[in-house]
Amino acid sequence: MLLAVVETRKIFGGTTHLERVFFYLLALVVLVVFFVGLGLRVKKYMAGRPLDAGRFRRARVPLEKPGVSAPIPLTQTGVDIAANRTVSRRNHAVGGAHLLLFWGFLGLLAATIIVGLDYDVYGNLTRIFGGKELSFFKGWFYLAYNAVFDTAGLAAIVGAVLLAVRRIRDSKSSVELDYTRAQKPKSGYSRAAMTAGDHLFIFGLIFILATGILLQGLRIDAAGFPSFERWTWLGYLVAAGFGALGLHGSTAVTAHFWLWWVHILTALAFVAYLPFSKALHMISAPANLMVRDPGNTRRLPPPPPGHAGYLDFSDFTSKELLGFDACTKCGRCHSVCPARTGGAPLSPRDLILDLRQYADRKRGIPMVLDWEERPDQSGPKNLEGRLAGEVIEPATLWSCTTCMACVEICPVGIEHVPTIVSLRRSLVDAGEMDPTLQAALENIATQGNSFGKSSRMRARWTKGLEAPIPDARKEEVEYLWFLGDFASFDERLQEISRMLARVLTSNGISFGILYEDERNAGNDVRRAGEEGLFEMLVEKNMEAFSKASFQKIFTTDPHSFNTLRNEYPAYGLDKPVMHYSELLASLISQGRVSLSGLGKKVTYHDPCYLGRYNRVFDAPRSVITSAGCDLVEMPRNRTNSFCCGAGGGRIWMDDSVLEERPSHNRIREAAELDVGYFVVACPKDYAMFSDAVKSTGNEGRMKVVDIVELFAEASGELALAGSAPEEAPES
Amino acid sequence: MKIVVAMRQIADLVEELEVDASGADIDREFVKFVSNEWDEAALEEALCLKEAHGGEVVVVGVDDVDFDQTLFGALAKGADRAVKLSCGFEGWMPTAVRAEILARWLKDEAFDLVLTGVQAADDLDGQLAGVLGARLGLPHAAVVVGLEPDGEGFKVTQELGGGVTLTSHATGPLVLGIQAARQAPRYVPISRIRQAMSAGGIEEVEVEAPPARAPRVTRLFAPEAKGRAEMLGDKPSEVAARILELIRAKGVGVS
Repeated sequence: MLLAVVETRKIFGGTTHLERVFFYLLALVVLVVFFVGLGLRVKKYMAGRPLDAGRFRRARVPLEKPGVSAPIPLTQTGVDIAANRTVSRRNHAVGGAHLLLFWGFLGLLAATIIVGLDYDVYGNLTRIFGGKELSFFKGWFYLAYNAVFDTAGLAAIVGAVLLAVRRIRDSKSSVELDYTRAQKPKSGYSRAAMTAGDHLFIFGLIFILATGILLQGLRIDAAGFPSFERWTWLGYLVAAGFGALGLHGSTAVTAHFWLWWVHILTALAFVAYLPFSKALHMISAPANLMVRDPGNTRRLPPPPPGHAGYLDFSDFTSKELLGFDACTKCGRCHSVCPARTGGAPLSPRDLILDLRQYADRKRGIPMVLDWEERPDQSGPKNLEGRLAGEVIEPATLWSCTTCMACVEICPVGIEHVPTIVSLRRSLVDAGEMDPTLQAALENIATQGNSFGKSSRMRARWTKGLEAPIPDARKEEVEYLWFLGDFASFDERLQEISRMLARVLTSNGISFGILYEDERNAGNDVRRAGEEGLFEMLVEKNMEAFSKASFQKIFTTDPHSFNTLRNEYPAYGLDKPVMHYSELLASLISQGRVSLSGLGKKVTYHDPCYLGRYNRVFDAPRSVITSAGCDLVEMPRNRTNSFCCGAGGGRIWMDDSVLEERPSHNRIREAAELDVGYFVVACPKDYAMFSDAVKSTGNEGRMKVVDIVELFAEASGELALAGSAPEEAPES
Repeated sequence: MKIVVAMRQIADLVEELEVDASGADIDREFVKFVSNEWDEAALEEALCLKEAHGGEVVVVGVDDVDFDQTLFGALAKGADRAVKLSCGFEGWMPTAVRAEILARWLKDEAFDLVLTGVQAADDLDGQLAGVLGARLGLPHAAVVVGLEPDGEGFKVTQELGGGVTLTSHATGPLVLGIQAARQAPRYVPISRIRQAMSAGGIEEVEVEAPPARAPRVTRLFAPEAKGRAEMLGDKPSEVAARILELIRAKGVGVS
């Protein structure tokens, strides 16, 4: 009798009916564990606060900026996930390896689902209803299946091995992989279980992938190398290897039998382990990327209803809780954080891990390894203590400069900054803060500026100008110039403000100021956690705007720029808001001014709130290059710019506890470039870096200059600042 | 324990104060008025005592410019009652008059302690606690830096200067001028002040202004600039040399 060759294979690796029953019972248990685990997590998210326009979605406000605060379309997020773009960012090697594992694993997942559909669904349905068990897992489909998914298997194992090698090789040298806490608990702690969890995950995955490939080889070897199995190219190669080692016939059959059970049991164990481990990120990370909201950090969310800041688990939003679960401990936030770099007790990674552990413990969700251990009930183990103050130390919360470097680089879309501010709000509500911050907030509350000067002195810097600046409250102007506190009150910056005024006047720009009616815009007040004061400042400024007639606003201060541009629209501001760098760049691009080449070699520092927050990268650079300067980029530039350390209210707090101030770190970075000028476009930067140049001993080698100083010098009308001011500043 | 805290508004010293046309008062037209910082210390001490030992804190003062702000701030910090004494007084109020108004209200109140700031920008001699104590016929003390309940009365610590402090025991009711509270005055978030404002709760009491039995200001002067600070330069060696030179020139005995 002739039998036609049917290209297929046996699915179930066991032999007896008992084995079959055992497998299916075990699979059922595993699926129950998996879905219960997942269910516990979903229930945790649902126990969080919903956002206003949906559980995970926030209501939009007018004047959203595409690429800045506007929501990211789901199609783009889909592409980001599919291409692992967020993982590849600034690290293509890890991203490439992860992409191989990602698609390889998805391929193998699809392969498993297809086999299950054929064997368990189609096979059973046809047996029960048709009387004869059928299968589509044969013929050309079988061949194509094997050819495609062998490729996936190879991709997955190559990716996984590369990632494992990197993790072992770099475990000592990489800041990202160093699990040492930034904030050291008094009682001590151990993160050995976290490391063990990482190793279990990656080596477990490699083990499952490798046994799967070996199984293919053993099966083909045991079957005597049927020629159609050449399509199962990877398995065939492995089989050839077994053959060459002399493994044949019944030995191969026995080896296949046992390895099949080993593979199946570890794979099932992996499914059960997934919701309780780092492996959860396979689900939580893409889910979190889909709900990420760039507007969330640029425009901080309001406090939870009924109280000022976060007090308990129930104050976290569903979105935040999902974000905590998405963290893979990749450490990129830890590595870029200026607070952590400077030796402050804050690491965005540790904060998220602490909050995740706290949330899981609160909800009674266990973790397999992946937890930090402590001998006492402090930190995330403190389930009864104050969330802001005990679970998370005040010093940790106060260390944040809100520079957004963590949010920017997080590959899974966690938004650390809004959570930090929500926790800070509780500290402010309890009056717990640095005395210098308290003094600044009190000054802002009484006089509207952090300098503690009379609000009537705000426009004092205009004295000494040849042409008085129009009062926008009294005459109509095209641009309303919003200076901010530093440009108005700091003596070093007043000279630069006067220079900008002269440049704009001589170029025929119609602009005016609010004189004593301008108040601190409140960007940093809000980020320090003083929401009520922020709202009061918004009311005062909006009232001043309503008294003035203008078409657009431009600011000196990038911080004011951010809040006016992204947060004030929710309070009714409907005018476009620009930064002065954009105004200067437009003068150049319109050909309204001709600049002569200065030939200076300079570098440029992207201010966090101008660059990363608002994506203004090119305008200041165009001013610099149009002024004929040779721009040498900082190693960390544009979205990867390194904070000066002044943001989020840090400028009002004590920095003396830091090992290295972020501004010093930045100046040392610039000093490597052998440039004479450190160009800034932010008054706080000017102040911070002028100090840092002095205290790092780079005075005489490098000078901090504002872009308007370059502009003024290149336009030939005005001398470079640093020469004697035309009139001594008022004391 | 019932603690009354007497508070007052003063011109914010960050403002450029000017003498008005009469020549006998500051120009109050555009000046911002803020709470006297020593009164804030008195309030803080009262709140700390209340938190430690229980009781009631009542804040009271004459209806100065923007006094409501201070009262709402005090309520937001944890004061139980806020009382504003209206008397229709215009211009600068001499401390003796202020004490008299406060005394007229206090005579109908039961209390264990009256705390007020040891001094104010317009009461640099720190008369308020003393005058008020005398007017009420109660024991009083000034420059108080420590206050604890002690048996029937209170243990009161005063700073005498030169690093010397004096601790005494007094049975109440007492009137004390507070130099410093046990901790820096707490921050009260604006949202809490706004809650206090929307809750209202300031009691207004009409008190007849007494005849001013106080010296009358005849003329105010802006401070005269006297000499200027001399910066001694940047180099430590030069600075040291200059200091030596100055010490020799001014006749301090170095040979």
